[in-house]
Amino acid sequence: MPRLPLGDWTDSSVDWLQAHLSWLFDAVSSGVTGLYDGIDAVLSAPQPLLFAGILAVVAWWLRGLAAGVLAFAGFALVDSVQLWDEAMATLSLVLVATLVTLVIAVPLGIWAARSQTVSAVLRPVLDFMQTMPAMVYLIPGIIFFGVGVVPGIIATIVFALPPGVRMTELGIRQVDGELVEAAEAFGTTPRDTLLRVQLPLALPTIMAGVNQVIMLGLSMVVIAGMVGGGGLGGAVYRAIGNVDIGLGFEAGVSIVVLAMYLDRMTGALGRQVSPLGRRAAAKARAALSAKRPGAKLWAHRPQPVTALVGVVVLALVAGGTGFLGRSGGATSTTASGQDSGHGKKISIGYIPWDEGIASTYLWKELLERRGYEVDTKQLEAGALYTGLAGGQLDFQTDAWLPVTHAQYWEKYRNKLEDLGSWYGPTSLELAVPSYVKGVDSLADLKGKAGQFKGRIVGIEPSAGMMGILKDKVLKEYGLEGEYEVVDGSTPGMLAELKRAYERKEPVVVTLWSPHWAYSAHDLKKLTDPKGTWGKGDGVHTLARKGFAADNPEVGAWLKDFELTEKQLTDLEAVIQETGKGKEQQAVRTWLDRNPGLAEKLAPQ
Amino acid sequence: MSRLQADHLYKVFGRRPDEAVRRLADGADRDELRGEGTTAAVVDAGFVVEPGQIFVVMGLSGSGKSTLLRMLNGLLEPTAGRVLFDGRDLTALSPRELRAVRATKISMVFQHFALFPHRNVLENAAYGLEVQGVPRAERETRAAEALELCGLAGWEKSWPDELSGGMQQRVGLARALATDADLLLMDESFSALDPLIRRDMQDQLLVLQQRLKKTIVFITHDLNEAMRLGDSIAVMRDGRIVQLGTAEDILVRPADDYVASFIQDVDRSRVLTAAAVMTDGAVPADCPEDCSCRPVGPDTLVADLCAVAALAPHPVTVQDSDGSVLGVVPTERLLAVMGGLASEEVTARA
Repeated sequence: MPRLPLGDWTDSSVDWLQAHLSWLFDAVSSGVTGLYDGIDAVLSAPQPLLFAGILAVVAWWLRGLAAGVLAFAGFALVDSVQLWDEAMATLSLVLVATLVTLVIAVPLGIWAARSQTVSAVLRPVLDFMQTMPAMVYLIPGIIFFGVGVVPGIIATIVFALPPGVRMTELGIRQVDGELVEAAEAFGTTPRDTLLRVQLPLALPTIMAGVNQVIMLGLSMVVIAGMVGGGGLGGAVYRAIGNVDIGLGFEAGVSIVVLAMYLDRMTGALGRQVSPLGRRAAAKARAALSAKRPGAKLWAHRPQPVTALVGVVVLALVAGGTGFLGRSGGATSTTASGQDSGHGKKISIGYIPWDEGIASTYLWKELLERRGYEVDTKQLEAGALYTGLAGGQLDFQTDAWLPVTHAQYWEKYRNKLEDLGSWYGPTSLELAVPSYVKGVDSLADLKGKAGQFKGRIVGIEPSAGMMGILKDKVLKEYGLEGEYEVVDGSTPGMLAELKRAYERKEPVVVTLWSPHWAYSAHDLKKLTDPKGTWGKGDGVHTLARKGFAADNPEVGAWLKDFELTEKQLTDLEAVIQETGKGKEQQAVRTWLDRNPGLAEKLAPQ
Repeated sequence: MSRLQADHLYKVFGRRPDEAVRRLADGADRDELRGEGTTAAVVDAGFVVEPGQIFVVMGLSGSGKSTLLRMLNGLLEPTAGRVLFDGRDLTALSPRELRAVRATKISMVFQHFALFPHRNVLENAAYGLEVQGVPRAERETRAAEALELCGLAGWEKSWPDELSGGMQQRVGLARALATDADLLLMDESFSALDPLIRRDMQDQLLVLQQRLKKTIVFITHDLNEAMRLGDSIAVMRDGRIVQLGTAEDILVRPADDYVASFIQDVDRSRVLTAAAVMTDGAVPADCPEDCSCRPVGPDTLVADLCAVAALAPHPVTVQDSDGSVLGVVPTERLLAVMGGLASEEVTARA
């Protein structure tokens, strides 16, 4: 069987598409971004509790008092765990994805219902879209659309589109053929048959499809969070990266609150908008008010149109007050230093690792003080490099070179600029808990496989250090065959370390310094007398090609950027104390404690 | 001019339909074609329906009767042949013109009622008028009138699923009548109803028809129903019309064994009339002044005739409305007819 170069074809077609259709991708990207920004602006404008109240009133109208109370409680919980802005970002993302999905899915479904050919052609395409793992098309998505919410939304649309199309097709096909024939027999045009008979009767099924689309969209928010989509997905992704079970749970519960709210509301809406459902509801209410005359007012529900108008008015009023309150506060935070940036926009990407977060927010604060407008995006490593190479990000401060991020550097080196190392050297190592006695060096591992169950808990197989470990370290110390390196993920490794540590079990993991695990647990680095790990990485600042030329001032600052180990750990500790979501505030506190440092890092 | 005329109508589903029509016209068998994957649903159907007539197409399922009906209003396009409606060839019309004809001139009543579940009774009845673009107030008035005609006054605001089957079909009928169409196509419209309700609906249709004088094409698989309703009946088998005639023609002179096997189950006493069974003759001479006999009209059903004959000591006189004697029906003749003997045998014995 000859090797089919399917992968190569894919690579070249991605390149071709990028080269020839970038205008289209740019248009899509700006359209989707505009929509997202608009919805997000409206949703996050009102005061959280006020908006939670509005959502609760909607729930009350659509489902009843209990639903309203529960909805309010759920959203109040989201607000109280300080994930409100993230939740609204996620809600906007899901709403945009749902909107775009429906605009595509419903007409496609109608078309498929009317033509067997279309239906037959669509089916495998939909299967492909639904089952292709999202991570596979996420990176091409970044190449086409840049990092941020757009590839996340696009991935969500790809994933959520199939049920929308299928349910629409099914709904229309389910409409009794005799009814369609009756419409035709009375001379109805095909268009009116669709609008007056097929769509109204298919509506409950189509609404079930809408519900599915929303639910699938919510299930994709974490993936969107890995490519800079932010929101609750970003929070979950970050929590996973740091084995922050608490934050992970809070963000997870917030997603669940959103999911349940949207699920119940679309379900109820499905009954409200379909003529048959509305009739059933009216009947039930009539029966209720016949039993208890006083219940009539209580059970009153506005017509859908009235309700919609009411909600929009409420939202706008709430949004207006929010905007007013906000604009008052916003002016006071404007930079106090000299304005040499003139509002120039700079976009920083970061992997949610401690030193990445610390240095990114440090630069965000510094650059804002100098009058730049800075935007930060949290991304997964592959997405970060792809976005940087594509020019959607300006720089990142957390490139571990030459070893750990070697494969990304190799792939994109001619599209990137290395602005030098600001911290180092770092080191790669194997580490064991300090309660493991008699193991201090890599050489001591020999013959102790039984104690460690023959396993070295590794991280992502793509990471540079995994290659070194397997190809060099094990060989040099004669551990090959005795130990198996378990491929996995960084969060997985950290979780395993935490588990073993708490039970005082022996465990050996791949780790690197600096790493917060060293402050969280009492660990020892195994010494490497033969020097097999190499000299260790520096933490580099990488910019897109041409960034330093475009921004000579910032380029110079970044080239000179350097932190000592004490400065970095101090800064990380302040951020840890201040709490999540307040990184920039922590940076300010830290800069206040280190007078003159800001001027040294970003001199006028 | 006839209201509706079907002219060598063919409907063939499947590949190369035109060739199939040619072969069918040359006398090819339907089964032959089926082996090749083509289905001949209707083969060379032709008939004429006069204004005010109820024309019944009778056949078992798969005989092509529903396909035939759908060619009459253009829901299905004939593979070959013409449909003339008021002298206009429907097969030559554009889809838009055809829709206009369906909206204003031809309406249809369905087997399973086909009421729109998301519209109430009044809105259902007004549907055809809505398609025509009649303003709301007017169409609601006219729909309400149609509903009243069908005995549904007061049910306007109800919903289809709140009504019994018979009432639902009345709504279907009202919907068809509301457009004032000249031609009513009824596709097994009473088949889904209980026997008693079905009978009721048949009676009501006949009463309505006396008032409205519509032209109706009625499809059924029930020969009793066909004979009760039909001024003229076409019996279909395997896509072809095997006999075309009045109820009496079919009952007394079945065209072939197939039709004959059908009529075995028919209650002859409720189909045949005095005119069909009478023999020549004058008022019996042995009729005394105070005789308990009484004359009957030519349209009297044999069933009713039996009751009269049982009281009369001699053959019953059949006379016209102006009193002129048309013939007599001897009791033995009645018995022979009820027993299913062909008229020739009866004549031979008599």
